[in-house]
Amino acid sequence: MAKSEDGIQILRGLLVFGNVVIGLCGIALTAECIYFVSKPQDFYPLLEATGNNDIYAAAWIGIFVGFALLALSILGIVAVIKANRTLLQVYIILMLITFAFEMASCITAVAHRDALTPNLFLKQMLERYGTTGTGMTADVTNAWNKLMVKNHCCGVQGPSDWQNYASKFRENHSDADFPWPHHCCVTDAKGSPTNLDACKLGMPGYYYRNGCYDVISEPMNKHAWGVAWFGFAILCWTFCVLLGTMFYWSRIE
Amino acid sequence: MVAAGRSHGDTQPGCPHSRLRHSSSLTMVPLLLLLLATAHGFQTVSYTPELAKKFLEGQTTTTTFVLEQPRCAFKFQENDINIRIWLVVAAPEAVSNFNNSLEPGSPERAFQNFLNGTNAYMTLGTTTDHYPCPKNPQDITVLRVGSDTSCAHDKDVPTCNGPLPGPGPYRVKFLAFNGSEPVKETQWSELITLKKATPFGDIPASDGKHSAGMIALTTILSILFAILLAGLVAMMISGGLDSCGSSSFTKPDMVTVQRYNTHHVYDQPAARL
Repeated sequence: MAKSEDGIQILRGLLVFGNVVIGLCGIALTAECIYFVSKPQDFYPLLEATGNNDIYAAAWIGIFVGFALLALSILGIVAVIKANRTLLQVYIILMLITFAFEMASCITAVAHRDALTPNLFLKQMLERYGTTGTGMTADVTNAWNKLMVKNHCCGVQGPSDWQNYASKFRENHSDADFPWPHHCCVTDAKGSPTNLDACKLGMPGYYYRNGCYDVISEPMNKHAWGVAWFGFAILCWTFCVLLGTMFYWSRIE
Repeated sequence: MVAAGRSHGDTQPGCPHSRLRHSSSLTMVPLLLLLLATAHGFQTVSYTPELAKKFLEGQTTTTTFVLEQPRCAFKFQENDINIRIWLVVAAPEAVSNFNNSLEPGSPERAFQNFLNGTNAYMTLGTTTDHYPCPKNPQDITVLRVGSDTSCAHDKDVPTCNGPLPGPGPYRVKFLAFNGSEPVKETQWSELITLKKATPFGDIPASDGKHSAGMIALTTILSILFAILLAGLVAMMISGGLDSCGSSSFTKPDMVTVQRYNTHHVYDQPAARL
């Protein structure tokens, strides 16, 4: 009898500890998702143009899930200490609902991150960059120009994108004068190319040789890791705590 | 002046006498041509034009290409001030019966008529002092063919260095004129093929594959969720059974029985079970 009493006490202690960890993780998840959602990204117009900005939806779900985890962890601690069966049942059911939402958020984040391949951006860039229309196409052009100048990169995989593929840009700009946009040229302090002829020739040091895909994908990867895999870790821990709670529920009167 | 072999290799260099010994009327014709060439002083040097050797991203684009300058290709003297060196750009079929005598700027050699009546044009004419020899190893000595868009449709500029009309292939050589007569030429280059642009509709937007991480994450989370649901269902069922059955089996009850004291057992203390 005494041994099972001790066992229940240990289980109770573990469950309280588990719920404390869940509460802290909930705060961390909320903070992280708020950070991702609020950080201004230069290339957001590009994501919008690809129609693939649901990666932010995952972060929004994460914010609310984090709050829910915090609240439910407090409920869980109270329920475990009071050894109240009804309260524990409510706790388990609400936690399962939160689990389902967080699961959706993780899977969405990873699936949308996988959809952001170089070819997707390449196709969007070739279709829309260089058009002088208003609205989304001008946004895409401006976003690419800012991106290329700020990060010293050109195109998605390199300046050869403009050579290997037909593009809207090529329709309005001759190949001899613009083998690639002049935003790919190294500029001086005033913002004009240091040597336009060398840039057109493709002489190293006068144009940006690297593609911009790494610059775009790096924050997306961090975002996906932060939301999806941290969420996954929280869910694994929550799974253990919930199983322990169910076992505890079955052992108390 | 020793004549080097002509570019289409009809004659063997240095064996005119053996040809005379086996003479027939047919072999006289190339010999006559050779003699004519030597009489006019026309030379073919061994230099072959090539694309720029140093790495350049724009070595070939869809309408331009970059050649090495013909430094030290022709060995002209200081006093050859009337010499102008021209670049000949030709479709491959023009090479076999190319007429060197047609002057640059004539309609048969006009850029605007290239591939539209004629199959070769001449451009980038310069004097010999633009190609000094020996070349300074620090210098980047290149020629960008196709860089001038302003005169591409201007019939008044037949020697325009305009953008090439298609991906080619093309062959080039340098031809030096003294006044209006050709005096020296280089070999014809290898075939130069320009880049061809693929339509962007051909790019597959997504390859439809899911990464291993996503599959693992989805599988594991689904399994965990299924286990939890099963646990919840088991809880509900056992909870339901509990409420139907007697809870006294599981709970050790504290039962107090009050002993009713009648007056004849007043002295005995109340017993507790």
